Amino acid sequence: MTELERALVVLGSELEHPETPDLLPAVLRRLPARRRRGSTRRVMLAVAFVLLALLAAALAIPDARSALFRVLHIGGEEIRPVDELPQVKAPPRLATTLGAEVSLARARREAGFQLRELPEKPDRVYLGRRGTVWLLYGTPERVQLLVAQTPLESVNRVFFEKLTAAGTRVEEVSVDGAQGAFLSGRPHVVILVNDRGQPFAESTRLARDVLLWSREGVAYRLEGAFTRDEALDLAQSLR
Amino acid sequence: MEGRPPEDAALAERARRGDTRAFEELVRMYQDIAFRTAFLLTRSAADAEDAAQTGFVKAWAALPRFRPGAPFKPWLLRIVANEAHNRRRAAGRRAELVLRAAAAQPPGDAAPSPEGAALERERRLELLERVNGLDERDRDVIACRYFLELSEQETAEVLGVRRGTVKSRTARALARLEEASES
Repeated sequence: MTELERALVVLGSELEHPETPDLLPAVLRRLPARRRRGSTRRVMLAVAFVLLALLAAALAIPDARSALFRVLHIGGEEIRPVDELPQVKAPPRLATTLGAEVSLARARREAGFQLRELPEKPDRVYLGRRGTVWLLYGTPERVQLLVAQTPLESVNRVFFEKLTAAGTRVEEVSVDGAQGAFLSGRPHVVILVNDRGQPFAESTRLARDVLLWSREGVAYRLEGAFTRDEALDLAQSLR
Repeated sequence: MEGRPPEDAALAERARRGDTRAFEELVRMYQDIAFRTAFLLTRSAADAEDAAQTGFVKAWAALPRFRPGAPFKPWLLRIVANEAHNRRRAAGRRAELVLRAAAAQPPGDAAPSPEGAALERERRLELLERVNGLDERDRDVIACRYFLELSEQETAEVLGVRRGTVKSRTARALARLEEASES
């Protein structure tokens, strides 16, 4: 290397240039779907494919169109009608999806918001991602009722996506004046999405009838086998 | 010149097969040089960020066509450089490269006297002025070879020219810099 070349290398190290911004979050948000490897990845591919086809699906499914002409946004949840649900394997243990099991007292302390409870004490309590508190009635193997409460301040973007197909009924409802939705009929797919818009592969699961709404900065979700009116009654008794 | 990290090929292969975690690692590993490359070509922080970001997104989409075992860095930087060139063309005249206000002492050198430091800085400013005075193609090859410290082969790939072209263009650019210093 000549003296001039050495001087150029030194010059390169002394040039003014802005600090490199963290490109990763924006890059990941912009990544298009592409073939992925492995069984869980096939599920994710199906999800990604379905997500790309959302608009067409919403217009193509009469059931969905009549009940849900647009994608519903409630709290941190997005409900999307799709042509066909991806194949979903039940996670080995529901509890591992929900988070760490804690006492109700600890959940109250650590929730960071006013936890609402039903008159009956839950059988299990979990602290999950994004500050979600899950109250489980029954057992993880035989869930009778699942109540989820998530502070919206921790949600920068939609973090749950619910994929519904023909056979899943979506009704817009009012829960004490707050906009909500009741999903019933054929089970729908719940996908947890991280803040980069990527699904957590292990979280994809089938859900039964669900009532969703948000109030005062908290998103609520009741999940179980109940009618719309029963779900609304439960929501009223959540204090 | 900078060597290829050993995990580079393995990560690129995993990413090629669709592993987003592997691609995340590659973004972390290469975002600095991708941004720096784009900045040297565009001279604009905003355009450089956009070009680097878009370059990574396009690289992800193009990964199925990435040749297994090939070096990832120049392949990525080629995509980023194309994005940067597009933005440079769209923006027309660009700001010049400038020296940092207080450039760090090169490692291993003893601290010079204030007069020596001032003289050294004056020499660097003169050299930079000569680099800024080169035409775009010569300046790009100097930036790749010496500012980014890419090899001839990597520079050829990034700029989309033959290795022989890099060799001749580098020789021409260096000669022009020498001439300018003598005039």
